[in-house]
Amino acid sequence: MKRNHVHVITSQMMDKSFLADVMKMRGGKNVLDCIQCGICAGSCPAAWAMDFTPMQIVRMIHLGMKDTVLSSSTIWICASCYTCTTRCPRGIDIPLLMSALKTTAIREKIPARIEIKPKFHKSFADIVQKYGRIHEPELFLKITNKTDVRALMQNAALGWTLLRKGKLKLKAPKVNQKVQWSSLFANVAKEESK
Amino acid sequence: MKQEPKIGVYICRCGCDVEGNISATVDVEKVKESAASINGVKIAEVYEYVCSNPGQQMIRDGIKEHGLNRIVVAACSPRMHLETFKRNVKQEGLNPYLLEIANIREQCSWIHDDKKLATFKAIDLVGRAVERARILKPLEEKAVKVNRDALVIGGGIAGINASVELADKGYQVYLVEKGPSIGGHMAQLGKTFPTLDCSSCILTPKMVYVAQHPLIKIISLSEVTKVEGAPGNFKITIRKHPRCVDASKCTACGECAKKCPVTVKNEFEVGLDQRKAIYQPFRQAVPSAYSIDKEHCLYFTKGVCKVCQKFCKANSIDFTQQEETLELNVGAIVVSTGYEILDPMGVKQYSYGLHPDIVTHLQFERLLVQGLHKPSNGEQPKKIAFILCVGSRMVENVNENDYCEYCCNIGCMNAIKEAYVFQKEVPDAEPWVFYTDIRAHGKGYEEFYARLRNHGVRFVRGRAAEVMPHNGHLRVRAADTLLGMPIEEDFDMVVLSSGLVPSSGTENLARMVGIHTGSDGFILERHHKLRPVDTQREGIYACGCALGPKDIRETITESMAVASQVATFLGKGEVSVTPEVAVIDEEKCNGCEECLKICPARAVEKVPSTFRTRMEINPMSCTGCGICVPVCLKDAIDLNHCTEDQLMAQIRGVEVKDDVSPKIVAFIEKNTAYASADLAGQTRAHYGTNIRIISVPSTGRVGFKHLLQAFAHGADGVMFVEGEDSVFTGERLREHVARLKKDLQACGIESLRLVSTTITIPQYPKMVDTFEVFTNRVSKIGPLSSKVRSEIEKKLKKGESK
Repeated sequence: MKRNHVHVITSQMMDKSFLADVMKMRGGKNVLDCIQCGICAGSCPAAWAMDFTPMQIVRMIHLGMKDTVLSSSTIWICASCYTCTTRCPRGIDIPLLMSALKTTAIREKIPARIEIKPKFHKSFADIVQKYGRIHEPELFLKITNKTDVRALMQNAALGWTLLRKGKLKLKAPKVNQKVQWSSLFANVAKEESK
Repeated sequence: MKQEPKIGVYICRCGCDVEGNISATVDVEKVKESAASINGVKIAEVYEYVCSNPGQQMIRDGIKEHGLNRIVVAACSPRMHLETFKRNVKQEGLNPYLLEIANIREQCSWIHDDKKLATFKAIDLVGRAVERARILKPLEEKAVKVNRDALVIGGGIAGINASVELADKGYQVYLVEKGPSIGGHMAQLGKTFPTLDCSSCILTPKMVYVAQHPLIKIISLSEVTKVEGAPGNFKITIRKHPRCVDASKCTACGECAKKCPVTVKNEFEVGLDQRKAIYQPFRQAVPSAYSIDKEHCLYFTKGVCKVCQKFCKANSIDFTQQEETLELNVGAIVVSTGYEILDPMGVKQYSYGLHPDIVTHLQFERLLVQGLHKPSNGEQPKKIAFILCVGSRMVENVNENDYCEYCCNIGCMNAIKEAYVFQKEVPDAEPWVFYTDIRAHGKGYEEFYARLRNHGVRFVRGRAAEVMPHNGHLRVRAADTLLGMPIEEDFDMVVLSSGLVPSSGTENLARMVGIHTGSDGFILERHHKLRPVDTQREGIYACGCALGPKDIRETITESMAVASQVATFLGKGEVSVTPEVAVIDEEKCNGCEECLKICPARAVEKVPSTFRTRMEINPMSCTGCGICVPVCLKDAIDLNHCTEDQLMAQIRGVEVKDDVSPKIVAFIEKNTAYASADLAGQTRAHYGTNIRIISVPSTGRVGFKHLLQAFAHGADGVMFVEGEDSVFTGERLREHVARLKKDLQACGIESLRLVSTTITIPQYPKMVDTFEVFTNRVSKIGPLSSKVRSEIEKKLKKGESK
C-alpha cells in the first residue's frame, strides 16, 4: 500500500469549512455519525490499492484535511461496490460520498495522487460524449499515452484474445439520434457552468 | 362560609437594595405600590431575603396580625422555595395551597436589562399572582392505606435479589417467573468478570434461599395477565400454566427424562443440544421439579405414551393439571424482566447459522461449562476470534429490526473473560478479540483488560468485516484500523458478542402495568439519575436489564435500590395523595369515555350504575396533568389547584397596559419546561419582556377556550412549551395543536399565531431561540386586529352566559 507521507497534522492542513461543505454534499450528511469502527476499511476489496482507507478519509473529513482528502487516490479507486455501506453500522453512504468528493476535486482542480484514474474517468466520459458509446481501443490508447509501448506489449495477448472472440471492435461505434445525445451533454455543461 | 380574601404580598429584593438580584433590575417599590392598590390586598411589603428566617417571620406575623388568608410571594422560582414557604404558612395555620409565588427573578430580573420594562413585567407577574391567589381554594392531602405485599415480575438475578432484600425487610413477596425455574441468564453463565467467580456458585445459594424463605412465594410457569387498581392497592391476575408434575412430590431423580421418547431443542443450552419433553432446565433448578412441555409431549400431542408416569417412583406426574388463574393484591410491583440476546442472523456478514462453529457469546458460555469443544466435530478449538459489537451501536442495517443503537455494556468485558477462560482451558490457545472500542468502565475492569493484554490475547482494533468458511476454517477479515491495513486470519471458531435487547414481552407488560418504554424498548425510568429504579407510575419499580443492558454487579445494586424504594413506599403503611388532581362533576358527566381514552395514567375508571354509566378519577393514580379537562364535552372535569377559573384569571392578567408588542403568552409545562425556563434565567440568557409565561401542569391542560381568552386579552401569539419527558409529547401534542390551529382559523385567527415545541432542561437556548423566532414571526404578521379581538370577546361572553 502506498502511503501519503504526512508527518504532522497541523492547523495549516485543516480547512475549517471543509467539514461543513462535505456535510452538504451527497452522502455527506451523516459523516459525523462515524464511530471509526473500520468495518468499511475491512470490507473494501480495493483498500489494498488505496493510500488511505475509507475510514481514514472520513476521519480526515472530520479534521478538515481538505487537500489530503481531495488529492488522495482513495476517492478515485473506490469501485462503488457498496460493500462498506451495506455493513456500515451508522448508515453512511461512502461510495456516494466518494463520487461527490471526486466531483469536488475536479471542480477545484486538485491533482490526484494517482494519475491514471482521473485520466481514465475523463477519457471514458470524452469517448462516450464523442460516440455515444464506449470504444475500448481508443480508451486504451488514451490512458496509456498512445506511445507507451510497454503497456501495449503487456496487454497485447489479452487484446488479441478479445479481438478474436469479437469482444473488441476496432471500428468506432455509432448511435442513432446523435443530435439528441449531444444536446444532452450540452445541457449538462450548461447546468454545471451555472 | 366564604371568606373575604385578605391578601398579603411579599416582594423579595434578593439582596441588599439596588444590588439585589431582583432589585437591581426591578423597581420593587413600584411593584409594591401597584400591588397595594389592587383590590383585596391588605398588605404589601418589600424585604431583602423573604426566604430567610426574619422574612418568613414577617409572613407569619402578617397572617397573625392582619388575618391574611392568601399569601403572594414575589421572589425566585417556585422550584427553589415553594416547599419552604408552604411549610411556613402551614405553621401559622394557613392552608399551604393558598400560597402563590410570582417568579420575578429567574423569569424577570435575570433575563431583562431594561429597568422600566422589567418593572412592568414584574408588576404584571405579581398582579396575575394576586388574581390567582384571590380564587385559590384550600386543599387537603389525603392518606390512603396500602397493601404491604409486593409483586416481583421476572425471576432472574434482578428479581431474585430484589425478592430476597424485600423479604428480609419483612415484606411478603410474590415472585412470578415465566419459565419452570428461576435463575435467568445468570444460571447459564460459566464464570463472571472480572473476579472469575463461578456464576452458579454465587447464584444457586441465593435461589435456594428464595425457595426456603417463608415470605417469598415463587409462582413459576406463570404470566401476569392483568393489572388493576392504584398504587398501594394493585389487583393482579396471573395465569399459571400446568406443570403436569406435582412439584411437592417430585424428587427430581430424572428417571422420567431418561425414559421419555421425545427430544426437543434445549433452550437452556441455547440450542447446542437436546432435552426431553419432560425436563428440568438445569440440575440446580428452583423449584426443584421436572415439568412437562405440553407442546411436544406425545400424550398431549397424540394421546399416547405416559411412559414417564409409569417410571415415576414418587408418583408425581399428573396429566390432569389444568391452567389456573390466580388473583393477588399487592401494594407495589417490581418489573425485572431482563433481556434477550439479539439474533445475529440479521447481521449477514458474520455468516451466523451457516456454520456450526460460529456461535453467540451465550452459546460459548455453555460450551465452556460443558467442556470446550467445537460444535461441528467435538474437537478442541485452538484459535478463536471474538467479534464484538455484533448488532450493537448501529443506527442502520440492511435487515430492519435486527440491530440496536445502544452499547450492550457487557460485550467487551464478557469477551475478555471468555478469552481468558479459553486460555486457561486449552494449552497454547490463541484468542483474538476484534473490537470497536473497549469499554472497561467498572471497578477492576480496566485492570482485568490490561492483565489480559499481557497474557497473549491479541486485540485488533477494527470491527470485523466478514466471517467466511474457508478450507475447513473460518476466515475473519477486518481492518486493523490502528495501522489502516486489512487483516485476514483463519480461526477454528468464531464467537459473536451479540447485542442485548429487552425481553420480548417487555412492551406488552409495560402497557399492562401502565408504564412507558423508551425508544430502545427498555423500561423508562422516572429520572435518569435521581430516580433510576422508579418508573413513571407511582408504586411500580424496575431493576436489572429490564431498564437497559448492564452487568451483574450493577443489576444487584439496582435490585437493592428497588427493594429500598419499595420498602419506603410500602413501609409508611399509607400513601399521601396530592390533591392536585382532576375531579369529575358527577352531575355533568354523561359517560362519553373521552377522558378514559386520553388519560395517560389510566386514572379514569368507569362506574357502572343502573341509571347511567359515569366516569370517576382515582386520585391515587391521577398525575394531575389535566389533559382530560379540555377534552370533556360536558365541561364536567376540573383540575384542582389549576381550575378553570384560576387559569382564566391568570390569562386575563396578561392585559396590562404597557407598550410591548407583540405580546406572547407562553404556556409552559410546570416541571421540565419550567425548569428549563429557570435555567435560562440562571445563565442570564436574554429574551424580550413581551413573553409572558404561564405555568400549567401540561400543555394538554390548555384548551381552545383558554386560547381565545388569551387572544381576547391582548395576546398576539401563543406558545406551548412541553417537557420532552412529559406524557404530553409526540403525537399527542401534535394532534392537540393541529386541532387548535384548525379551530383558530375558523375564528379568523391565523394558525401561525400558535406554535408548540418540546424541550429538555439543558436545552434552554432552544427555548430562548424559539421565543425570538416566534416573536419575529408574530411581529411580521402584525398585532391581532381589534375587530377580531372584540368578536372573540363576544363569543366568550356568549359561552359564559350559556
